[in-house]
Amino acid sequence: MTAEQFLSYFSPERFIKDLRARSKDGVLSEMSKVLAEDDDVRDPGLLLEMIRRRESLGSTGLGDGIAVPHGRSTAATQTKVVFARSKRGIDFAAMDGKPCRIFFLIVAPYEDNRHEYLPLLGKIVETASREDIRKKFMDVGSHEEFQEVVRGAIGE
Amino acid sequence: MSDRVQMLVALQDLELMIREAEDPTSKETEEALGFTMQGIEKLQMDCEQLRKKIPKPDLRLYDRIRRRYHRVVVPVVSRICTGCFQGLPTSRTRTIPTSRPLPTCESCGRILYWL
Ligand SMILES: [Zn+2]
Repeated sequence: MTAEQFLSYFSPERFIKDLRARSKDGVLSEMSKVLAEDDDVRDPGLLLEMIRRRESLGSTGLGDGIAVPHGRSTAATQTKVVFARSKRGIDFAAMDGKPCRIFFLIVAPYEDNRHEYLPLLGKIVETASREDIRKKFMDVGSHEEFQEVVRGAIGE
Repeated sequence: MSDRVQMLVALQDLELMIREAEDPTSKETEEALGFTMQGIEKLQMDCEQLRKKIPKPDLRLYDRIRRRYHRVVVPVVSRICTGCFQGLPTSRTRTIPTSRPLPTCESCGRILYWL
C-alpha cells in the first residue's frame, strides 16, 4: 500500500486535533459522529453501537498510547478512517494500562468486496507501532501535517 | 433505537461480528496485529436479547432471506439496491415502516435500508 492509497481513507474533515471527550465511550461517540457526517457513512447511533460491541470483544487499545477501534457496518458504503488525538490522554482499558493519545477509527462496509479492510488495519497498526512516527503524530497540527508524516513513514 | 429496519441492521452487523470472531482466519489476523477477541459470550447474549426486541414477522422475514443470501439488509445508494444493483422504481421512497411490511427490493427480495 502506497502512502497515497493509505491517505485516501483520511480527510481534513476526519482529522480531530484534540478530542473533547474525557472517557473511552466519549471518544467512541465523538469519533463516530465525525464519521457519520460523511456522505458514504450514516447513522452515528448504529455505528457507535457496533464499535462499542467490538470493544466488548476486547479493547482495541494496543498499548503505547495507541487505540484502533474498528469494525464493519451496513451503515457504511465505503471504508473510512478518522484520526484523532487527545493531548491529555484517555483511559481506554489498553493492554499496557497506559492512557491512549492517538486514535484511528476505521469503519468498513458490511461486504468488503475490494478486500481493503484488513490490509488497511494492518498498515495503520504497523505505522503507529513505530515510536518515531508516534511522536510525530503527537505533534501534527493539521491534516496536511498528518499527510506529511504518513508520506515520510510509508515512503513514495 | 425504534426504527424496525435499524434494528435489523444492528442484528446483521452483530451476527457478522460474531461470525468473524468465531472464524479462525479473521481471528488469527486480528490477533497477529495485537487485538484480543475474547468477549464472544457477551456478544452472543446481546444477539439473543436483540432478537427478542424485534417484531416476530420482521425476524421471520430476516431469517428467511438469510437462507438465500449472505446479506439480508442492504443500503440504497442513488436509488439502487446494493444487493442486486437493480434500480428502484421512482415511486419508491424512503418510508419509516410502523405497521406496514418492511420495504424490500422487488428484484431480489432483500430488505432495503435508506442511508
Ligand atoms: Zn435488490
